[in-house]
Amino acid sequence: MLTRNILAPSSPWPVVSFDFRCQVSDKLLTRRYLNYGHDRGLKKHNSLRLRAGFWDSIKSGFLKNNTLQVIETPSEPQEDEEVLPQEFVLIEKTEPDGAVEQILFSSGGDVDVYDLEALCDKVGWPRRPLSKLAAALKNSYMVATLHSIRKSPGSGNDQKKLIGMARATSDHAFNATIWDVLVDPSYQGQGLGKALVEKLIRALLQRDIGNITLFADSQVVEFYRNLGFEPDPEGIKGMFWYPKY
Amino acid sequence: MLLRGIISTPLPSSLRLKTPARHKTVAVSAHTSTDTKTTNYSISDQALESRGFILRRTIDDLNLDHLNTVFVAVGFPKRDPQKIKLALEHTESLLWIQYNKTQRPVAFARATGDGVFNAIIWDVVVDPSFQGIGLGKAVMERLLDELSSKGICNIALYSEPRVLGFYRPLGFVADPDGIRGMVYSRKQKKRK
Repeated sequence: MLTRNILAPSSPWPVVSFDFRCQVSDKLLTRRYLNYGHDRGLKKHNSLRLRAGFWDSIKSGFLKNNTLQVIETPSEPQEDEEVLPQEFVLIEKTEPDGAVEQILFSSGGDVDVYDLEALCDKVGWPRRPLSKLAAALKNSYMVATLHSIRKSPGSGNDQKKLIGMARATSDHAFNATIWDVLVDPSYQGQGLGKALVEKLIRALLQRDIGNITLFADSQVVEFYRNLGFEPDPEGIKGMFWYPKY
Repeated sequence: MLLRGIISTPLPSSLRLKTPARHKTVAVSAHTSTDTKTTNYSISDQALESRGFILRRTIDDLNLDHLNTVFVAVGFPKRDPQKIKLALEHTESLLWIQYNKTQRPVAFARATGDGVFNAIIWDVVVDPSFQGIGLGKAVMERLLDELSSKGICNIALYSEPRVLGFYRPLGFVADPDGIRGMVYSRKQKKRK
């Protein structure tokens, strides 16, 4: 039986530590799916259907080898809204050599700026001053990250690598804007970007921020449409001040 | 951001602030100076003051119920004043104009962001009785000045279609390079 205790980074939100059973002989790991509050407007069956579709899209990226276990499986929706845990394992994969890789989601905002700079380099973004990066993260209302944690068999060391990030600024009451959504190219195409943004949205909605906005490059408009975003609602246009284009 | 309502009666000429044949120039100084700026605004601080309008940059003395009245007057949904207070306390920059005679806010705009890269301007309003005399422009010019003097290069907003013409002369461009403003809608969530 594996017990995982998540150390609490400094943050205003409670951290939930949880146990999950690992049945070594059984390929499929299951644990109680910590359902996070979805909005009251959605009907339960709608949200179940949506959630199932979402997880299918994640699983389909991995079904080539069946040593993958998807940890979170949708179970019966909870009656009361549970707070989204600040940190939890999204996916766990066992490799042929016995190494285990976990993809960890966190909204605690604990990001090493050097790691972030390296990730921005990987996706080809122009460099920004580190001090400004640090300030931007500090001034963001929420920073969500994906880390890959690789445990080699026999070795005590875990390799932790930043593979995704998304952040949102907000006035804490009405509006939030999502910026800087990025996923390491070698981890793209597996639904991780969707998971990242999806969780960020859920966390924002849970904090009663009703208006969630973003600006999307033309090639990613469809990506966000599939997550529930609408371009130019009611003809409202995004405008930029003296853009450098 | 949203300018609604039309002036039903034209204002007396004594209140007109638009100086004819004057082209707006906004010179952005590279170093922030806390004293009087050499920036050229459409309407100078002194011009505003001489006509009974006081520029404010903090929420001190801002009566939130009066502000809410202006929001409602231009068509915003009525919002919980406590929530407005919370929003304003977490707003990076804001500017409002107080009408000396009534002490009430007559123009307002605010910007949220991360303080270094990005800022979004929200809640741009002018009391319908005071529209058309340049107060909205006055507030916007100064807010943009403040944001760009902080080094923020990416300043954006969401504009209703009918006020695109208000923002364009200020230097705003819609959908530059195909970038689209998007809003999360709970009603229409699609999954592949």
